[in-house]
Amino acid sequence: MAKKTYDLLFKLLLIGDSGVGKTCVLFRFSDDAFNTTFISTIGIDFKIKTVELQGKKIKLQIWDTAGQERFHTITTSYYRGAMGIMLVYDITNGKSFENISKWLRNIDEHANEDVERMLLGNKCDMDDKRVVPKGKGEQIAREHGIRFFETSAKANINIEKAFLTLAEDILRKTPVKEPNSENVDISSGGGVTGWKSKCC
Amino acid sequence: MDQSVAIQETLAEGEYCIIISFPAVQGVLCEGESRQSRLLGLVRHRQKRGQEHALFLYMHRRMAITGDDVSLDQIVPVSRDFTLEEVSPEGELYILGSDVTVQLDTAELSLIFQLPFGSHTRMFLQEVARACPGFDHASPDPEFLWLSQYRCTRPEPEPPTPLGWNAPPGTGPPCAGIGGGVSDFDDSRSDKRGLPVDPSSWGQDTPDNLLTRQNKSKYEITDMVRSSTITVSDKAHILSMQKFGLRDTIVKSRLVQKEEDYTYIQNFRFFVGTYNVNGQSPKEGLRPWLSHGIPAPDVYCVGFQELDLSKEAFFFHDTPKEEEWFKAVSEGLHPDAKYAKVKLIRLVGIMLLLYVRHEHAAHISEVEAETVGTGIMGRMGNKGGVAIRFQFHNTSICVVNSHLAAHTEEYERRNQDYKDICSRMQFCQIDPGLPPLTISKHDVILWLGDLNYRIEELDVETVKNLIEEEDFQTLYAYDQLKTQMATKAVFEGFIEGELTFQPTYKYDTGSDDWDTSEKCRAPAWCDRVLWKGKNITQLSYQSHMALKTSDHKPVSSVFDIGVKMVNEERYRKTLEEIVCSLDKMENANVPSVSLSKREFCFQNVKYMQLQVQSFTIQNGQVPCQFEFINKPDEKSYCKQWLNANPSRGFLLPDSAIEIELELFVNKTTATKLNSGEDKIEDILVLHLDRGKDYFLSVSGNYLPSCFGSPIHTLCYMREPILDLPLETIRELTLMPLQTEDDGVQLENPLGIPKELWMMVDYLYQNAVQQEDLFQQPGLRSEFEHIRDCLDTGMIETLSASNHSVAEALLLFLESLPEPVICYNTYHNCLECSGNYTASKQVISTLPTFHQNVFNYLMTFLRELLKNSTKNHLDENILASIFGSLLLRNPAGHQKLDMAEKKKAQEFIHLFLCNSP
Repeated sequence: MAKKTYDLLFKLLLIGDSGVGKTCVLFRFSDDAFNTTFISTIGIDFKIKTVELQGKKIKLQIWDTAGQERFHTITTSYYRGAMGIMLVYDITNGKSFENISKWLRNIDEHANEDVERMLLGNKCDMDDKRVVPKGKGEQIAREHGIRFFETSAKANINIEKAFLTLAEDILRKTPVKEPNSENVDISSGGGVTGWKSKCC
Repeated sequence: MDQSVAIQETLAEGEYCIIISFPAVQGVLCEGESRQSRLLGLVRHRQKRGQEHALFLYMHRRMAITGDDVSLDQIVPVSRDFTLEEVSPEGELYILGSDVTVQLDTAELSLIFQLPFGSHTRMFLQEVARACPGFDHASPDPEFLWLSQYRCTRPEPEPPTPLGWNAPPGTGPPCAGIGGGVSDFDDSRSDKRGLPVDPSSWGQDTPDNLLTRQNKSKYEITDMVRSSTITVSDKAHILSMQKFGLRDTIVKSRLVQKEEDYTYIQNFRFFVGTYNVNGQSPKEGLRPWLSHGIPAPDVYCVGFQELDLSKEAFFFHDTPKEEEWFKAVSEGLHPDAKYAKVKLIRLVGIMLLLYVRHEHAAHISEVEAETVGTGIMGRMGNKGGVAIRFQFHNTSICVVNSHLAAHTEEYERRNQDYKDICSRMQFCQIDPGLPPLTISKHDVILWLGDLNYRIEELDVETVKNLIEEEDFQTLYAYDQLKTQMATKAVFEGFIEGELTFQPTYKYDTGSDDWDTSEKCRAPAWCDRVLWKGKNITQLSYQSHMALKTSDHKPVSSVFDIGVKMVNEERYRKTLEEIVCSLDKMENANVPSVSLSKREFCFQNVKYMQLQVQSFTIQNGQVPCQFEFINKPDEKSYCKQWLNANPSRGFLLPDSAIEIELELFVNKTTATKLNSGEDKIEDILVLHLDRGKDYFLSVSGNYLPSCFGSPIHTLCYMREPILDLPLETIRELTLMPLQTEDDGVQLENPLGIPKELWMMVDYLYQNAVQQEDLFQQPGLRSEFEHIRDCLDTGMIETLSASNHSVAEALLLFLESLPEPVICYNTYHNCLECSGNYTASKQVISTLPTFHQNVFNYLMTFLRELLKNSTKNHLDENILASIFGSLLLRNPAGHQKLDMAEKKKAQEFIHLFLCNSP
């Protein structure tokens, strides 16, 4: 049968300590660019990017959050509704890695139960300043049953792969929609589903 | 042609049954091996309790025109268990352009249909989906009472009717071979190569009706309809709303703009043939015309005129000749290649056939065919044109076969016929929002037919002599088509190759002899082939004398046509670039502002002293609506002591607005700031509609004050409050009010707060004779000075008007978190407000410090009353002022009624009139 295309909208969220490079990761993915000047994100920003996965057009709406501790109580309120969360630490910053378990707890408390999580060890281009071995990242990811990538927004390593993998994982979990199974509000950007045929 | 008119005639139009609309499609009902054509009509019955639908299946004549042409076969009520879904025929490779197979299921039956691909089918399916109950939860289960009247008239099953035109006898599933290497490849897949077409782009407001199967309530649908009234200028917003399909439209138009980036030209060989068969049946093989002496072409465009001259063909649009000539052509195609039939279109005697080599079939799309009659009354089909348009790779091609008006002198009529065909030939587009396509809107136009232009001014003999001498050039000068084209009266922009063959009309049938009939018509080049477009090379243009069936000779022309081929890799790249740029545009259209300041530090905040800091919101390029929004689990967007002004607004592009953050601590907020339960710390969330959120941090420190401190706390503060460490203030403020054993933990409490004593003593010293004391307002600046003196203990520096000190005293009493008459004693006091003894008894139950304060104040007030001649005070005035300050309803101000107020005054009044 012919390929049917569906527009889907996935809401993704970037969280992690301040300065680990969440904004850079997003900027690399959305604009394929990198900016060295550090401007702390004070608030919530988002970008959209359309990707095609398994023949489906998927619009990713990626929310970038303020990492500073004083904003945590506020930023956690943005977890709700996220279908995927990227938890980022900095391989050159041990503290940011230690905080991972705290961030994971935050996800448990505030995000949707079925949210797809992913761990990113960013700044992997700075191997000389590395303090978090890759194995430790892999280990904690394994313990929590989530995917792990070491990335570099600066050197463009694994950024696109990480986002596409996360989107694919969400797509895989997205139930095959039978009629009456989903009520997506289009006007709020929830996505569109089409006339469903059995054979797709 | 819409055959729903025929169905309409069979339906009742009674009191309760009003048929609103019913798209009909012609489909093939597949039952095992048997395949029967059916007309499917969706019938709506409207009644008081809403509406119900049923699918009516009709057996029908080939082209149903009236109710007599159809007979009701089956009715399938669209009940709650009704489903109609697209299925993939098992074991069959899906081929682009094949029919749509749908399976109809209800609790009782299961049917499979093949529906022709195209917008009509799509619309039909959407309508059916929309009709399914469950669309509206509120509606009751359908009962289908109205169907009974049809059920009794249901006829006995008839033997299978002949298959429709789109399913020739002997045809199996689509694309099975017929004849010599020809297969049926009727109609085509509408979505264009690789470009993902959003199904929502079919039909108007489609996403809505697509959702009908998903339990959308009526309410939501209305909402969507309403939200569609959006101004076009709001581009970003529209982009983000898929339902408009605007994004797809932009992607498509950009792809067209950038076509050169991802396409290259490749030549394909087109055979174009035209033959006026004069109503004859094929009597000889067509290979001499169609395939002799040429390599196998890629595309065949074969046109006939005067296929059937019978009245039946004219009036009933039905002729056996169609099948005969179709078969003859199919058998006459080049034997070196396998061909697939793309489309057959016929208007009475004018028929056009389009074949492509098998391997090209997948690259043919968007096939549409239309007819225009220009004959009798300017509309009938004895003259006119038929056309097939399609997309071959990335090139749009339109092939027109026309039979224009006859007779030598009627050349202007012919010109007019041409113009009518051009203007009235309109092809549907996949996207119904787009205007229909006309012939001229194609990259390549091939026009063939019996154009009927004659040779003028020369007598028959001269013409024949010139032909004998093969002086076609001279003869051509007298050709009406040539002269008409030269004056741009017809076929403007078209090209015709050089005529190197003798006129194709009119011969004695079965011979190569010129017309010997009575009329003895002059020979003419009636049958022609013209073209328009880029990259077209004519390789041959000739007539075929060997065919003798008709009084015309067939004409053929072979072309190399440069077709735009898509380089998949570059196409993908271009598409990606477009999508990327749209994403960028969308991101750029997210409202975004810059803030002149994000951190606000308010230092040394004092009680009732307003501090203001301002910042500017500078808008970017997108109009935006901003608003401070509540944080989770909070009732307002900021703490009580803070206010943003304005807290919401609208900004035009590049405009700015100044926001003031006002910090003001009053009696409600002071105590917690003293106790450290609250701090000058807050985060404000500035939200842009459809955009980002900005966090604004507010910080600072509060200078504790006796205002807002509890009486007992102040009694334990022997030092001025500002001389004490913050920790001590916190502890003392949080210390519970004890009725007994005061001062167990702490030694030497004061009898009353020293600040109270300072103010009262100041008034006692300076103001007992002050006129209108407590009745004139104080000065704000003096209040601040008094507050500072009290909080720093610098009473000796206090210099303020008596009125200001009097007001400070009132403010002090008002700011007490626990009033002098404790909340839990309030009701007791009101109860005994007429009884002095009882009242005194109640006072004695107050905590010691509160008793002290009360007695001290009453003594002072009585002292004031002694000077009433000077200060004009009396018991009633003082009772009314102090009544509401000393006695406060624990439930708050909102419950303060007049009766309570009066009793509170009476209570104070007693103490003013009676000395202890």
